Amino acid sequence: MEDYKYLFKVVLIGNAGVGKTCLVRRFTQGLFPPGQGATIGVDFMISTVEIDGVKVKLQIWDTAGQERFRSITQSYYRSANALILVYDISCQPSFDCLPQWINEMDMYASTKVITYLVGNKSDRVNQREIPAHIAERFAQQQDMRFLETSAKEADNVKRLFLEIAKELTQQARDNEICSQYSSASDLGATDTSPVGNFSCCKGF
Amino acid sequence: MAATSDSRRSNLQQLTTLEDIQKGLQNLCKEEARVNEELVVLLKQQPDMCCLNSMVPNLQMINNDAAQLAGMISFTSTLAENISSKVRQLDLAKSRVTVCMQRVEDVWDLKYCTDGVQTALQDEDYEKAAAHIHRFLSLDENVLRMSADASEGSTLDTSFKLLHEAQNKLQMIVHRQFDAAVHCGDVASVERFFKIFPLIGQHKEGLAKFSKYLCAQLSDMADKNMKTALSTCAGDKRANVIFADTLTLLFEGIARVVEIHQPLVETYYGPGRMFTMMQHLQKECDRQSRKILDHFRNQRNLEMKLQQVEQSLYQRTLSSTEKIEPKELDPLMAEVTLLNARAELYTRFVRRRIMNDLEVATQNEDAKAANKEEVDKLITTCELSRQMQELIGNYIMMEEYFMHEMVTKAVSLDLIDESALTSSMVDDAFFIVKKCVRRALSSSSIDGVCAMLNHACSILEQDFQEVLYARLRQGMPSGFDFSQAYNLVQSSLQFGKLQSSDDETQKQKTAFLTTLNNADVSCEYIQTLKKSLEDDTAKMYGHVNDQGSAKLQSCLSDLGAVSTRFTDVLEFGFSQFNSGVLKPRLRPWLDAFLSVDHNITEDDFSNYEANDPWVQTFIVNIDNFLITFKSSLTSGNYDSLIRHLSNEITTRLEKNVMKTTFNRLGGLQFDKELRSLVGYLTSVTTWTIRDRFARLTQMATILNLERVSEMLDYWGPNSGPLTWRLTPAEVRQVLSLRLVLSSCCFTVSPCALIGRRQLLLYGVGLILFLPAPSLVGDNFSSMGWG
Repeated sequence: MEDYKYLFKVVLIGNAGVGKTCLVRRFTQGLFPPGQGATIGVDFMISTVEIDGVKVKLQIWDTAGQERFRSITQSYYRSANALILVYDISCQPSFDCLPQWINEMDMYASTKVITYLVGNKSDRVNQREIPAHIAERFAQQQDMRFLETSAKEADNVKRLFLEIAKELTQQARDNEICSQYSSASDLGATDTSPVGNFSCCKGF
Repeated sequence: MAATSDSRRSNLQQLTTLEDIQKGLQNLCKEEARVNEELVVLLKQQPDMCCLNSMVPNLQMINNDAAQLAGMISFTSTLAENISSKVRQLDLAKSRVTVCMQRVEDVWDLKYCTDGVQTALQDEDYEKAAAHIHRFLSLDENVLRMSADASEGSTLDTSFKLLHEAQNKLQMIVHRQFDAAVHCGDVASVERFFKIFPLIGQHKEGLAKFSKYLCAQLSDMADKNMKTALSTCAGDKRANVIFADTLTLLFEGIARVVEIHQPLVETYYGPGRMFTMMQHLQKECDRQSRKILDHFRNQRNLEMKLQQVEQSLYQRTLSSTEKIEPKELDPLMAEVTLLNARAELYTRFVRRRIMNDLEVATQNEDAKAANKEEVDKLITTCELSRQMQELIGNYIMMEEYFMHEMVTKAVSLDLIDESALTSSMVDDAFFIVKKCVRRALSSSSIDGVCAMLNHACSILEQDFQEVLYARLRQGMPSGFDFSQAYNLVQSSLQFGKLQSSDDETQKQKTAFLTTLNNADVSCEYIQTLKKSLEDDTAKMYGHVNDQGSAKLQSCLSDLGAVSTRFTDVLEFGFSQFNSGVLKPRLRPWLDAFLSVDHNITEDDFSNYEANDPWVQTFIVNIDNFLITFKSSLTSGNYDSLIRHLSNEITTRLEKNVMKTTFNRLGGLQFDKELRSLVGYLTSVTTWTIRDRFARLTQMATILNLERVSEMLDYWGPNSGPLTWRLTPAEVRQVLSLRLVLSSCCFTVSPCALIGRRQLLLYGVGLILFLPAPSLVGDNFSSMGWG
């Protein structure tokens, strides 16, 4: 019925007011609504992109940053294919909270999830409090990809989501090939002895 | 005319041949006819010409008349224009007069009001005074001042001064009187003065004062309700939800206030004022609900319980005695969901009331959108909503813990009932999940429901599906006689005890099969659960916006997707079963085929007819094998078993066929064997088995050929409806299994002398000369038999 090959879940997390909703709005609607109110619970948007001629549907869950919604937002981590952890480059506290967020991710998210650290509001050059190289080093330590964005200037926003879509698509394709191989070896298993099957599996 | 006749005459000289003459005659005849016609027409017009002559003097007269008429018309038009400009001037004059009269009237009114207000105030007839002030306020003061001339100015000034004074005085009086009325609880006076405020241009002040008065009433009522709530004894049947009840009473109180006073506000203040009033009322609502919820937290020990839950959730090392008992949370969660449901109902009421009122007051679409945003903001950011969001957050944590603990318990207390196909954990776990999600549904919080659906997915996949996986991983103990197991179960059922030697294996066996059934049933249960929750959400959440229903839809479909995880478990289980049980059992039975000679004489063939060498025994064996499982597997699993069994039979049998040599009768024998086997398998399942045996059936067809050339009747363009599952190479390979084909003119005995390889070469050579291109292709020559 719907025309897409893959569906991925992307979940945005991070302190309140770092611009998660604006990032999503910029990407899905091309808007930057000033005076965006705080998100209540979880918002849900869908965007279809094309990666190498394949239609990919991104289901974007924009979570509320406020503490009282934590138990709601946490329930979305496990099924996420990608997690975007956002902080505000002009707000030191939002950066200082990152370890807590990473702790939550370790606790709830699946081990296969792709994680991005995103420093938003990069247009605020004069109010910058976190130098890019510090954040980049931090991301490296945590084994996360890193990007600075500006939802206001539409800077790197598209790139962020397209990179994620691309990587997830690649992952899905690899999995498909892998499962094809394993199903082939299953077929083989029916006419080889268990020992042969085992060695054949070891082959790749 | 003469000239033409001359030329004609000279032309006449040139007419030398008969044809030319005749042509000339024809032309002349045509000319004559034409001239005649022309004459007739002209003659007809002759009387008209006479008329024209007589009309000439008349025309002259008409011309004169027309000139006269034109003169008259232009005169009239100038006249009309003159008149209309006069009328315009008159109009202007008239409108000025009207305005003037209006002014005079206004001035008159002003004087009248000035006098009226004074007397009304003296008589304490405030309504009348207010009406005068209202009239005065509706006058445009500046215009009146401008139109007044110097002498009149002074009296106007005094009037205005007096009226302004009177207005201030009246405002003061009304404020004072209103407060006094509120103070002594005089409802009639309160309403009386409430109605005066809009007349003296104090809408906002009036609404604020009145709302304050209403809030005070609400507060009194809430205090009373709270006292009753706190004095309710623990044994009361509403004791468990007493705070939800109190909150409900508060909401009902507010709703009643709105019901009663909305018409009053609309009549005296005009439409669009409900928003202001609701803003005031909402503040009181926030204050009162905060009180109720604070009491709720204290009385129910919420903070302490939450702490315990948090510890139990995140420190999984805690022993079960240290953990909080999940059942203890049951009443608490019920009350929280009830609280939220009530609050949700109330906010919906508020939104509807305000929006309906604003709808009447504003026509502009942009203004409407802006209004909607304002109202949304009021509702989402009010203290009550914030409190409820926090409570829902707490609830989700408790419910997650509850569901996790209860499912884990259901798994650990799993009981295998001999009479049932599945064990208790499936029914129990799904019952718990359903109960929890249903409870979340009853809270009316979409985010809450979505979160619980997500948790349900996690728990089913982690705490439940993983257990099934682990159990199947232990596998089915092999080398165990199933008919024996079956008898054992039967006897144990009869005598009520198991023989200790086989006790363990038997238990393991039952556990394995039960787990397979559990996985199969779980797939089904998830779909049923999803369906029933979909129905519930459709019923209870029909009013939510697109965004909300999209979220619900997405989370529900995630739940549905969990069933594929159970399918994976099933697949894994069957692969375990295949290698552990199915293969070892089937191999010897299938390999018995090899010991049956398929290179037979007529006598052998008829002997086989009477004493079946293989297939009957094989069928009996499978039948016995299947019987032991039929009663202990779900129908879905039993079908899967037959599917796997058929797969195993076909692959193994194909191999064995390739290892055997056949003559014509042997081929016939094999065909018979295959038919009875397929017939049997078809009888025991609802699946279409024939398709799975297509390759073997095609092999039998080939082995049954009278001569090689017959192959062409089945192959290539002649294949008709038959789709070949065998590759050309395989077809050749099967053909080569036939020791002799009648077209080779070999008898049986020389054939035995010739080496098999040579025979094959002969057969192949024969085929090579056959004209079917699909069979005799490149593949063929590249087979490398030469």
